[in-house]
Amino acid sequence: MDVLIIDDEQPAREEIRHLLTQEADLRVVGECANAIEGISAINRHKPDVVFLDIQMPRISGLEMLSMLDPETLPRIVFLTAFDEYAVQAFDQDAFDYLLKPIDPARLDVTLRRLRRDRSPEQASALFQAAAPLKQIPCPGHLRVLLIKVDDVEFATSKASGVHITTHTGSEHFTELSLRTLEEKTPFLRCHRQYLVNPEHIREIAFQEGGGAEIITRSEHHLPVSRRLLPELKEKLGFA
Amino acid sequence: MFLDSLSLTLTLLQQTCVYLVIAYLLSRTRIFIPLMNVAVRLPHRLTCYVVFSAFCIMGTYFGLKIDDSIANTRAIGAVLGGVLGGPSVGLAIGFTGGLHRYSLGGPSALACMLSTIVEGLIGGIFHSYMRGHGRIQTLFNPLAIAALTLAAEITQMLILLIVVQPFSAARHLVEQIAVPMGVANALGAGLFMRILLDRRQIHERQASVFSTKALALATRVEGVLHEGFNIDTSTRVAHIIHEELGVGAVAVTDTRNLLAFIGIGADHHLPGTPITSALTRRAIENNEVVYADGNALAYRCSISPKCPLAASLIIPLLGEERHVIGTIKLYEPRSRLFSTINRTLGEGIARLLSTQILAGRYMQQRELLAQSEIKLLHAQVNPHFLFNTLNTLSAIIRRDPERARHLVLNLSTFFRNNLKRPSEEASLGEEIDHVTAYLDIEKARFLDRLVVEFDVPVALRQCRLPAFSLQPIVENAIKHGTSHLLGVGRVLISARQIGDELHLCVEDNAGLYEAPRESNGLGLSLVHRRIADRYGPPYGLDIACERELSTRVTLRLPLAPTAPMALV
Repeated sequence: MDVLIIDDEQPAREEIRHLLTQEADLRVVGECANAIEGISAINRHKPDVVFLDIQMPRISGLEMLSMLDPETLPRIVFLTAFDEYAVQAFDQDAFDYLLKPIDPARLDVTLRRLRRDRSPEQASALFQAAAPLKQIPCPGHLRVLLIKVDDVEFATSKASGVHITTHTGSEHFTELSLRTLEEKTPFLRCHRQYLVNPEHIREIAFQEGGGAEIITRSEHHLPVSRRLLPELKEKLGFA
Repeated sequence: MFLDSLSLTLTLLQQTCVYLVIAYLLSRTRIFIPLMNVAVRLPHRLTCYVVFSAFCIMGTYFGLKIDDSIANTRAIGAVLGGVLGGPSVGLAIGFTGGLHRYSLGGPSALACMLSTIVEGLIGGIFHSYMRGHGRIQTLFNPLAIAALTLAAEITQMLILLIVVQPFSAARHLVEQIAVPMGVANALGAGLFMRILLDRRQIHERQASVFSTKALALATRVEGVLHEGFNIDTSTRVAHIIHEELGVGAVAVTDTRNLLAFIGIGADHHLPGTPITSALTRRAIENNEVVYADGNALAYRCSISPKCPLAASLIIPLLGEERHVIGTIKLYEPRSRLFSTINRTLGEGIARLLSTQILAGRYMQQRELLAQSEIKLLHAQVNPHFLFNTLNTLSAIIRRDPERARHLVLNLSTFFRNNLKRPSEEASLGEEIDHVTAYLDIEKARFLDRLVVEFDVPVALRQCRLPAFSLQPIVENAIKHGTSHLLGVGRVLISARQIGDELHLCVEDNAGLYEAPRESNGLGLSLVHRRIADRYGPPYGLDIACERELSTRVTLRLPLAPTAPMALV
């Protein structure tokens, strides 16, 4: 099993790594110090299991969950220093959690459970647990910008990754996939590579040949694919 | 003619004397209190009207019958009523007195009624004129009143001459009564005002003696019982009351024992001994004021038969929910009387002391509460901090046992400091050491993600401040600040002397401070409240936050606080 460790404290990562390397069938594919690095590493390494600390800078482990692509969700084992209500609230079967300092015997139980049932995480359970996104994390230099969903006009997927554009025209890179944003925000899919925030649509210009174009409040022109137009019109209430 | 006039004057003056005696006796009653000042409000005017109408009518009855007319002192009531009550009151009194005179009949009945009304009006106009010119004191000047009344009498004579027919009869009447009535009324009105003035002075002197005594006492006992209700504070209070009231002796008891005794009989009334007096027990059990004046209710000392104290006033002191918590007792020896003033004062003092005792207890409770909150804060070590630290420790033990040992030492220093009694003061140096132990632990967790700098002048390390003030601020800067940074968190801890204040500053580079909601931020608000309670405004915490850049928490407190401000 490929394992990823996400914890902001280096000694804590060292500790769990040490315990995990005792197991022959486990391979630690990476360590991350925060949720941003974590999302990126999950997208990159596609680990089977993630050991995820809850208390982390700006974006907690719980918040990070809702930012992951539901299609490629790894198994999650939460780590926490204190038996939090937040963790207890989860269905025990859906998510496992370990208390720090980690008791090796308790870790064994977790690992046995993981070896027995390697099916991917139940996405439905996750969505029940995780709240809709209010803010979208965008990594900056040494900081994370948390951009309000309401301020975003549209999101687009480019070769360099997913970018969101705010109503002030600034563009930010995000680790979140378009699919995650579509699932977790009110954004509507208008094109294979575009999501639009319906609150920011100023007009839809229909073109000859059945195509259309969305013009946002700050004058951005977004393509609408012919295939998605009927669904879009229906969702906007003028079908 | 002259002799006639003189004898009539003297007779009328005699009548006036009887009239004035009645006025004097009445002046000793409560009815007269409203009359000692100019009547402005309706109830006072009403009293004024009733009293002076009565005098007006009385003036008629005390008159002397001359032919079919009456030489009288009716004018005094009408004029004075007008002077004190204003034109409307004067007019009303004139009407009342005049109608009464009219009902008695005689050739001059109509003229007398008219002149009485005019006299009331004259008094009222004088009132309005003097008030309008800001010379209210003139209204109480007996000479001015006498002159005014004389003028009113002259007016009356003129009215008689005009109204009474035939003119010869009028002239005859006026010749007979003009001088006696002028003299008697002017003198009577002047003396009447003199009586009023005397009453007013006595009244004011009594009131001022009373309030001076009460104020002096209240000022001196203020705050004494805030320190608690015990032998020491009771003795101080008893001393003050004894000095201020000048009574024979003063005692203070709780519900069981005598706490203090000052004055005559102190040789055998010993503080600390149980209460023996049945009267005191009665006061405590029934929650009532017991007054043994030495006549109706005898006071006899329950300890020594030779005790010279013969009268006692026992007033219960009340605590929470009006429960009796003790008594205050005033004594006088056989040779002296209890003055009414001292009785009233005694009861007032008991109320004052009861309130003080209550306030003192309330303050003690509040202080206890603040202390226990701080204790709670001490005990309430952030569980995340504790378990994360243990987790760190478990990682470090494997790699570097020596460093792990160091961390364990830091942890024990930190917890040991935390268990100190929170009411204790500490030096800034000790606070910095406590914070350093805490920071060493945090640095072991965060490694190079946390950089801390100190800028504390050595000279300031001796400053005193309430223990456990700095650490919660630093912990807050890390927990809600730098630990949320992806990059390096920086915390700067500095101390400065600004004027006669000490400013402790904790600045982080996260800028994530948010005003606490109900539950969180307990640490900071508690530190603020403790400083603010102790030293008063403007001391406490100031928080300046520049979003995403920095948060700076400044703790202001007086430098070298010799005596912390009393908790009020």
